[in-house]
Amino acid sequence: MKRLSSLLALSASLLSCSWLMAAEPLPQRWISSGGSLSEWVVALGGESRLVGVDSTSQHPESLRALPSIGYQRQLAAEGMLTLRPDILIGSEEMGPPPVLAQLRGAGVRVEMLSSKADLSSLQASLQRIGTLLGEPQRADQAFAAYQQRLQQQADWLVTAQRQQAAPGVLLLLGHAGGSPMAGGKDTSADWLIERAGGRNLASHSGFKALSTEALLALDPEVVIIADRSLSGDAAREALLQQNPALAATRAARNQRLLMLDPTLLVGGLGPRLPDGLAALSAAFYPASQPLVAEAKPTP
Amino acid sequence: MNPVIRPRSLFIALSLLLALALWLSLALGPVSLPLLDTLKAALRLLGWAQAGDELVQAELILGQIRLPRTLLGLLVGAVLALCGVAMQGLFRNPLADPGLIGVSSGAALGASIAIVGGAALGGLPEAFAPYLLSLCAFVGGLGVTALVYRLGRRDGETNVATMLLAGIALTALAGAAIGLFTYLADDATLRTLTFWNLGSLNGASYARLWPLLLITAAVALWLPRRAKALNALLLGESEARHLGFAVERIKAELVFCTALGVGAAVAAAGMIGFIGLVVPHLVRLLVGPDHRVLLPASALAGASLLLLADLAARLVLAPAELPIGIVTALIGAPFFLYLLLRGRT
Repeated sequence: MKRLSSLLALSASLLSCSWLMAAEPLPQRWISSGGSLSEWVVALGGESRLVGVDSTSQHPESLRALPSIGYQRQLAAEGMLTLRPDILIGSEEMGPPPVLAQLRGAGVRVEMLSSKADLSSLQASLQRIGTLLGEPQRADQAFAAYQQRLQQQADWLVTAQRQQAAPGVLLLLGHAGGSPMAGGKDTSADWLIERAGGRNLASHSGFKALSTEALLALDPEVVIIADRSLSGDAAREALLQQNPALAATRAARNQRLLMLDPTLLVGGLGPRLPDGLAALSAAFYPASQPLVAEAKPTP
Repeated sequence: MNPVIRPRSLFIALSLLLALALWLSLALGPVSLPLLDTLKAALRLLGWAQAGDELVQAELILGQIRLPRTLLGLLVGAVLALCGVAMQGLFRNPLADPGLIGVSSGAALGASIAIVGGAALGGLPEAFAPYLLSLCAFVGGLGVTALVYRLGRRDGETNVATMLLAGIALTALAGAAIGLFTYLADDATLRTLTFWNLGSLNGASYARLWPLLLITAAVALWLPRRAKALNALLLGESEARHLGFAVERIKAELVFCTALGVGAAVAAAGMIGFIGLVVPHLVRLLVGPDHRVLLPASALAGASLLLLADLAARLVLAPAELPIGIVTALIGAPFFLYLLLRGRT
């Protein structure tokens, strides 16, 4: 009998132990480094806990009002400590390593999450953020919805491609129209074009400047313009003004110069990506009914 | 050029300035620590137990963040200024800076190989990866300098003018190679490269201080022993030879010292401009060209200046920080212009 009661006591203490583990206080003051991770923290309801973000966290607009901790690869330990953070989350680009070690030494939890552009990395990152925010279900739901939207996108593409061949596309990343660089193989641009159902005409790797002649020779059907300082018609006009040869391409003649927010090109799979993809697809396949009502092709 | 101030008073003033810079660098930072806490934390670091929980944080900031950073600034500033004096003495030209013999461009080339190539290779051994950049920068600086020195030698003699031109040519060549790596780099590596070129004392740790400490100590002990030879060199090479100095040997030593010192500084903190150029100049204006005074005084002034520049770098944009190369150039360039224009009247 005595043995039984001691066994009971032991199991009770073990139980309470695991209770204590579960009741470990959630981090209240967050610093987020990496554009799409910050977006996810906001999407999962953690915006009020953010006390600082890095310079790549520009969405949503309200994050720009938070103190900036600088560029994610050049973080400064003492500066961040002034924000009294409980936790720093960031992508594997976050650094330099000695600074992260200093932060850990100061009792700041450093969570390095993957920002790779694949769904399993995203799932792991979302679950981690969800758990740390105390909202694991919300994270699961968000991931399921995200996965579903990307699946819908892929299905829609299959239907659309029955009616129309994939268009040849170039993505030009520029600054106020000047020196545009085309996104080649192994870039986020390539990934985006392919997911939206286009054929990337650029065959080099990385982002490289294209000569005017090469641009004309490729004769893209669609050109995506990602401009870092201008948006909308202003960016389109600036690009045409500085690269008059572009006007002779099929894309310009048929008014298929599309605009893309360049922040979609960095930091892996962000919450705004499905909308961006749907908008691109709608413009790639004008004959098909757009997947999302508001994602009208921009003429 | 008449000395403005006597060496003795200059040493006292510079020592006080350095003490002030050291104190400010330890006492000020984005986290504002009460003066008393800083002092108590310092006592704790020295082994005197002091009670108080708030001191744990203060001790950490002081011991793990500010102290290594301050020491790094001290060493880098001192060694850059010393090498600047050596170069201006060797070329007998106040406009010379350590970049002339290719050490900076060689280090930059090494760094870009490490940053771009390291990113392309991807899977380096964990333990080795953090040191790759520093190592490549150091080896690059030493390698290009050795080449410049070799090109300047003919018939057992080093022609300083040839060496200078060879330095310019190799700097251009290294620039082309760096340009190629820049072209090959992706966005993230490009930014790393840019930031490295601006220098930073951020993320200093004791483990990385040791090599620099040894090299700085060697340079700081060695160069002053050659002060008389440097003074003789001011008269001209053949005059120095007639005065009984082994001129060829001295030249080789100066080049080697500079390559070693600047290479180590750049490997530890990235490219930091203007300290090696402006500080010796400034000190020379104050006390005249006697290298027996110029060398130690420049070391003191270089360390103080870099520490103060770093203080600005970490306070201006807190919680983010400015690359220190921007601050030194912002202070250095206008000052340099002032020197130029002042000389004209």
